[in-house]
Amino acid sequence: MMVSGKLHTSLNTAHGAIRLPAYVPVTTFGAKYPLDDLVRPYLPRLAQAAMVSFHYARQMTERPALPLFVDSGGFASLFQNATVLMVGGLGVLKTKTEASTETLHPRDVLEFQEKHADVAFSLDFPIPPSMSSHEGRRRLGLTVANARWAIENRRRKDMPIFACVQGWDVDSYAQCVEAYAGLPFDGIAIGGLVPRVHDLANVLRIVKAVRAVVPNKPLHVFGLGKPGIVEVLFKHGVHSVDSSSYVKLAADGRLWGHPTMKLEDASPAERLNLALCNLATAAQRALPLSTSHLLFSSRLWEQ
Amino acid sequence: MPEPLEIELNPAQREIVERGLLTSGFSCVLQMPTGAGKTWLAEQAILATLRNGQRAVYITPLRALANELVEKWRQTFEEFEVGVFTGEYGQRQAYPVPFSRARLLVMTPERLDACTRHWRSHWGWLPDVGLLVVDELHLLGEARRGPRLEGAILRVRRLNPFLQILGLSATLGNRSELADWLAGVHYESDWRAIPVSWRCVRYERAADKPRILREQIERCIAGGGQSLVFVQSRRRAEDLALELAESGLAAGHHHAGLDSEDRRRLEHEYRSGGIRVLVSTGTLEMGLNLPARQVILYDLQSFDGNDFVPLSTNTVWQRAGRAGRRGLDTHGEAVLLAPSWDRSAERYARGRFDRVLSGLSDKHFLAEQVLAEVWSGLARTRSQLKRALQVSLAAHQNRLPSVDRIVDEMVEAGMMVEVNQDGLRNTPVLKETRLGRIAVRQMLTPSTVVSLAKAFGANPERPEPAFTFLDILLVCAQTDDCEPLIPVDFEELEDLGARLVREHSTLLSGAHPVVMERFQTRGRRLLAVIKTALIARQWTRTGDTDPVAKSFGCYAFEVRRLSESFGRLLSAATALAAPSGEKDASDDEYVRALLDEGPPLLERIKALASMIGNGLDEQTVTLTFIPGLGAKLARRLRDAGITDIEELALVESDELAKVRGLSRDRASRWVGEAANLIRRRSALTFREFSTKVQASVSTWPANIDQYRLRRALDLTVRRRSDCYLVSGGLEPHRVRMDSVKLSCDCADFAKGENCKHVLATSLKRRDPVVVSLVERLKTVATSSELDLFQLWFDGGRR
Repeated sequence: MMVSGKLHTSLNTAHGAIRLPAYVPVTTFGAKYPLDDLVRPYLPRLAQAAMVSFHYARQMTERPALPLFVDSGGFASLFQNATVLMVGGLGVLKTKTEASTETLHPRDVLEFQEKHADVAFSLDFPIPPSMSSHEGRRRLGLTVANARWAIENRRRKDMPIFACVQGWDVDSYAQCVEAYAGLPFDGIAIGGLVPRVHDLANVLRIVKAVRAVVPNKPLHVFGLGKPGIVEVLFKHGVHSVDSSSYVKLAADGRLWGHPTMKLEDASPAERLNLALCNLATAAQRALPLSTSHLLFSSRLWEQ
Repeated sequence: MPEPLEIELNPAQREIVERGLLTSGFSCVLQMPTGAGKTWLAEQAILATLRNGQRAVYITPLRALANELVEKWRQTFEEFEVGVFTGEYGQRQAYPVPFSRARLLVMTPERLDACTRHWRSHWGWLPDVGLLVVDELHLLGEARRGPRLEGAILRVRRLNPFLQILGLSATLGNRSELADWLAGVHYESDWRAIPVSWRCVRYERAADKPRILREQIERCIAGGGQSLVFVQSRRRAEDLALELAESGLAAGHHHAGLDSEDRRRLEHEYRSGGIRVLVSTGTLEMGLNLPARQVILYDLQSFDGNDFVPLSTNTVWQRAGRAGRRGLDTHGEAVLLAPSWDRSAERYARGRFDRVLSGLSDKHFLAEQVLAEVWSGLARTRSQLKRALQVSLAAHQNRLPSVDRIVDEMVEAGMMVEVNQDGLRNTPVLKETRLGRIAVRQMLTPSTVVSLAKAFGANPERPEPAFTFLDILLVCAQTDDCEPLIPVDFEELEDLGARLVREHSTLLSGAHPVVMERFQTRGRRLLAVIKTALIARQWTRTGDTDPVAKSFGCYAFEVRRLSESFGRLLSAATALAAPSGEKDASDDEYVRALLDEGPPLLERIKALASMIGNGLDEQTVTLTFIPGLGAKLARRLRDAGITDIEELALVESDELAKVRGLSRDRASRWVGEAANLIRRRSALTFREFSTKVQASVSTWPANIDQYRLRRALDLTVRRRSDCYLVSGGLEPHRVRMDSVKLSCDCADFAKGENCKHVLATSLKRRDPVVVSLVERLKTVATSSELDLFQLWFDGGRR
């Protein structure tokens, strides 16, 4: 068990212990989001770990100096050009591009994670509210199969594996997590909540249902990172969340602490400063006092 | 905070440590006298930062000091790598420790400026920096270096918002304002380990100063002390030290013109007590720790490039701060030599320091930083620029010029363009042009690049100017970025004229007024431009700094600096002369292709760049046209008697292979390539045959010296009951009416000359002869050739 103490005060990884609860900022590698390259060196000052998706992690040239959560990249199954197939009883994601077809097998994900990750997540397939119940049930089944396969095939014992749960309502999420009963997962990660966040009460019911099935394991929620929601989730027993909202907002010239402000033509350095400020707010970390002049009173938005 | 090193803290240090000022998270400005332990405090802050896993940057204004600190800190911080990053390294010599490995980076403000301009290349380490120590923070107020330091601080703070700045200085008139600007705290102490007393010693006549100086020094030495004497010029430092040595004192001189070995030897002898008196220029006022019991300020004025002006309080205190040797003296003394009738020197002891004012209030320097912001990508729109500069010291002091106007002028000058770009809601985006890029890469001011572009820029619509090597150097020398510009003494004019008539120049040929139209500068500055260009040209002919320096009455160190400075300017000129949109001018093949078409301007500039960079003449440089044959080997071949490509083509391969570093294969290949090359191009390609300069000195009555009369025009004469007080020169003087004759107390008059003070007084008294000569002076020369005297009399105008 990678969790110390009854209340899961920390999660031990190969690159250090993560105190819980934790806000885990998402980062990417490659050329698509250049702001991430600016923000990344500062993550160790403001966060205990970073989340990177399998797709972007493959483009990683230099590892950030903090524990790395590596997600499976299963969210790509929501794209129009993606298909979820069952191969040998496991869920495989097939993505077509103009030039080629790419197949993502749970084995690809786990092998990569064992090389680079400090915390791994099984390959899951989100079930959006508009999806047919048949396809929903199929995806749920494959999500469970992939998680079981991952825990059975794990070789690195110092890499916690979180089993992903998906569903379309409270009962289906509960049913999914019940399928992991007795298996040596190090934590549970709830996915598919982003399109359901408009109904926070429902989200909390799902969290409560999952928590009821696994009361003693760390609980992670994917993609919900707005400060107000994070606080509520932590109160409801969630141990960690990940989100890219801090950096998306900054790229849009926005500051969490100042909802009406929007900098129309933020420069790269201004976006960096906004992102760090957003992250500090979300992670409830203090920036050094010397930055207050730049971040909070620079009258950026008064131009 | 780490455990302090084994040291007993002084009251100021204890208070700073106890208050936690260095670790509060705030930036901090510390103002403490010289020798009060600022460096120890900086070391504590650095150590805390390094142990916290972050990097620290230490900015120091002098290369010599950077080297000295690194040598010391490699031991102090032995568990961390310490790197030095100054202009000495980077291009010709690799950094001893690369940026990526250095945990403590010691650099000059210019290097930090360059790193922040190229911030993407330095992103591997910039975010790791936790502490930036800026020693001699008052440098922010210096004309040229201040704006670069401020620009660098502005960028590094935006790129690394976690950065804590620790500013150190002994002399700040606005400590609290600077701390406000940095959103930090400040602390001031006047505690000194060795108390210093201030004395003003009066003299009646300037001629008495050497005697008074000697008396003061002898008194100090008799009590077991050492003296440090500050003077206003290198020449005076040398002369005075010699005079003191001849009178039996163990004296030496110190200034920036000394080479590093001599300087180190001298510093060692002074520290060990072998030398009891050191006569120095301002180089010792910053950094180097060479304290003395007694500090004497022999001159209370300095030359600002145009005129003599009183020393600032900051400068006087920086110098006086060297008084008192820890462990050797119980007290120190600062002695100011001032004329008996001038009471203004008393103000220095009160220590009301000058306010440090942002140099970005100068449009010229602001333009450079605006361009750097745009080029670096940190500000690409007018509003981004305004926001970036809104947090400048200049803005904090309400001295920031209009950014819009600067941008308009830069667009007008072709350094930037403003274009509409999708995605920014019709906000026009600023983009540097080729000219702008050259300015930023070479760290040149925009005005310099505009001047170079005007002279050398490729323009198919006009014939290429027939510039000689000297002309190219003249164009470079008259830009603001040529450093140092070597001034001309009046006594040198004859010699300068004699040198010029042996040179080839298009720019200096023709009647005086015609020549003047070709230059942006005038008067003595133009003379300095000419002399500086001649020094550089001579360096290409000999490749040996010492004889060049001796021949021109400057220092070897200055010749080396000029070689670096012209190197940068010629790199920019090369890029500007290359046709845009074609292959990069640095491409060897491209240059070699040009060889087939005669030596155009671009080729001449490139050849000159190689000549200046390596001290090669126009024949030897042809050897470097052989692929793989660099300047070092070209010099070796020249020393072996193979002075150009024609000689190389004729030499036996076996003979050539005897040259050190050459294999037989390579020798054989080079001989073949040289043979091919000379079919198309002679070794005399760059030999100059154009017009030689006609320069002269106009005639003048022998009894009144033109130089002295011209200087007299700059002086102020005030009538007193018993005499005239003449000020505005090196020293103030008194002129008395002796029956019908004027007499002065200056040394010049004592030698029997009609001194400038007497001439100024005659002018004040409307002496008709002197008035008519002044009228003649003011007549613009119409001679058929360049008149160097006329240039001199035009004065110090730009």
